[in-house]
Amino acid sequence: MTQSLLVSLLVLTIIKSVPIVYATLGGVISERSGVINIGLEGMMIAGAFTSVVISNLVTPSLGPAFGPLVGLIVGVGAGAFIGWVLGVAATKFKVDQIVAGIGINILCGGIAGYGTFLVFGLQGASPSVPALGGPNIGFLDLHAGATALLVFAFVCSMGLSWLIYKTPWGLRVQACGENPHAVKSAGLDPLKSRLRAVTISGALAGLGGAFLAIGELNLYSDGMTAGRGFIALAAVIFGRWTPWGATGAAVFFGFFEALETVLQGHVSWLPADAMQALPYVAALVALAGVTGRVRAPAADGVPF
Amino acid sequence: MKRALNIARGPMVLTLLLVIVLMSIVMVIAGTTPWEGFASLLSGTLGGPREIAETLAQTTALLFPALGICLAFRAGLFNIGAEGQLLLGGLTAGAIGAHFAGPGWIAIPVVLASGFVGGALWGALAGWMKSRFNANEIISTLMLNYVALYLANYLVSGPLKSPVATGSETAPLPPSVWLPALVPDTRLTVALLIAIAIAVLLQFVFTRTVFGYELRALGEAPEAARRNHVNIGRLTWLVMGLSGAIAGLGGAAIVSGELHRFNTQLSPGYGFTAIAVALVGDLNPLWICLAAFGFGILEAGGLAMQASANIPEMAIHIIEGIIILVLAARRYVTTRVEVPAV
Repeated sequence: MTQSLLVSLLVLTIIKSVPIVYATLGGVISERSGVINIGLEGMMIAGAFTSVVISNLVTPSLGPAFGPLVGLIVGVGAGAFIGWVLGVAATKFKVDQIVAGIGINILCGGIAGYGTFLVFGLQGASPSVPALGGPNIGFLDLHAGATALLVFAFVCSMGLSWLIYKTPWGLRVQACGENPHAVKSAGLDPLKSRLRAVTISGALAGLGGAFLAIGELNLYSDGMTAGRGFIALAAVIFGRWTPWGATGAAVFFGFFEALETVLQGHVSWLPADAMQALPYVAALVALAGVTGRVRAPAADGVPF
Repeated sequence: MKRALNIARGPMVLTLLLVIVLMSIVMVIAGTTPWEGFASLLSGTLGGPREIAETLAQTTALLFPALGICLAFRAGLFNIGAEGQLLLGGLTAGAIGAHFAGPGWIAIPVVLASGFVGGALWGALAGWMKSRFNANEIISTLMLNYVALYLANYLVSGPLKSPVATGSETAPLPPSVWLPALVPDTRLTVALLIAIAIAVLLQFVFTRTVFGYELRALGEAPEAARRNHVNIGRLTWLVMGLSGAIAGLGGAAIVSGELHRFNTQLSPGYGFTAIAVALVGDLNPLWICLAAFGFGILEAGGLAMQASANIPEMAIHIIEGIIILVLAARRYVTTRVEVPAV
């Protein structure tokens, strides 16, 4: 492998990691509060689809600088809303979180697919819409909008780390994931903490989806999230439920996505399908390799 | 028994009402009145022998993976990988069926068995990862879905590609390997009867055998199962394997009964819809047959709607998603409140 290939692999790793990092951080905050968020994939889809629709809608009147930004913000809001839905289901209705998460994934895929047809009159994918842009900056040679989101992803892992370990709210969230009854005994409402945590989780996943749709690309297509929300679930475990560990794990899986892209142009002996399967196989191996030795929050997935 | 029936009827009625309301909304958005919409849906799915046959063919396609999912969920194992298991079952059936010339009475069982084995291996892989490495089966089966798709895609566009076809598919199956049709010139085959037989068998296994008892114990009271020396590791990969096998059999039935070859467009997401089917049927194999028929109407109707009203099939996913979300309010495993009667 030549020098330039290595550099492009490195650059691509960082770019491909971004949506996974956001979704993974969403998974961390949700699971630390005691709610397993299988719906991350659906929340990414919600963020991706909504940001595309809104950006397309408002850019003509707001201009190319603010339109996509509004799209991004509404996309995050859509993710947060879906997160809130799962949160309400998990706290108020005490549903089976895994079944509810599966429902959310199928629902969001359906809404986005049908919505693409209703809004754009096309099936399968939207046309290209105004996306985040700006001049290319930095050694990544990536436009300013995506670069900002990229930096913000790592700011978020720092912020989440601070939030979980250093603030009373974060400690409470941790307690909710370990022993919600103790939280209740202390006179606090574990359900409220869980609801907030899952809503934040949805917002982060929505941001990841929006980055994919109007940061890295400029359209929505069915299946564009390609299981990144599920890979994020593996990254949460691989990163041992800590923000920094999970970020590292997300970058690790991002590397395999980048490897797939880089190899496809330069390696002919390995079939393309094998390269495309790489991130998933990596997640499987990581899952088998570490999960025996890590411990999930004690009340993870247990309704209170 | 009466109580059990009442429990099962709850989600059925709820789902039916929900579906009617949601379908009406979808129809209004699409620009027809619900009255006209339902009339055309019913005449399109149940209006004549051909329509009913098509609906039952969809029922069959959903029933196999739903029964597989039911088996795993009852053991507290969230097998979300029915889609991949179905695909690999179809792949092995297609690969072996194309090169197995023989009289039907021997060739058809061989093809179905190879689908069974293909799905079983894929399911057991996740089960083995769970029992050996404690790898979360939800995530591993989700990942294996993607791996199965790429594996199948590679094989049908490379080593197993039909020399005569232009697209990516396996060589066609000789007619002696085709499953006999129940209604001539339709996609409805004897696979429906096989699926119903499996449902009856599963119900027997759940209620009358030690294996079924241990399996339910694992799902409803894992701690009690462990303390009573149930071999949880062995049970885990066995259940996941059997669960995958039933889904794989469904893939083989589609290959041998409808497509007569394998390609990766085998399933438009039957493995995921089947989760809703299994939950609506309250994880009871016999009720699942009824639920599969209901979803068969929805799927066949969805195809008809796509063809006539140009509504993407995706609209059906909205309905499925909401149904699953609502049914999640009933807790299915481990956190179950009621203690099963001994």
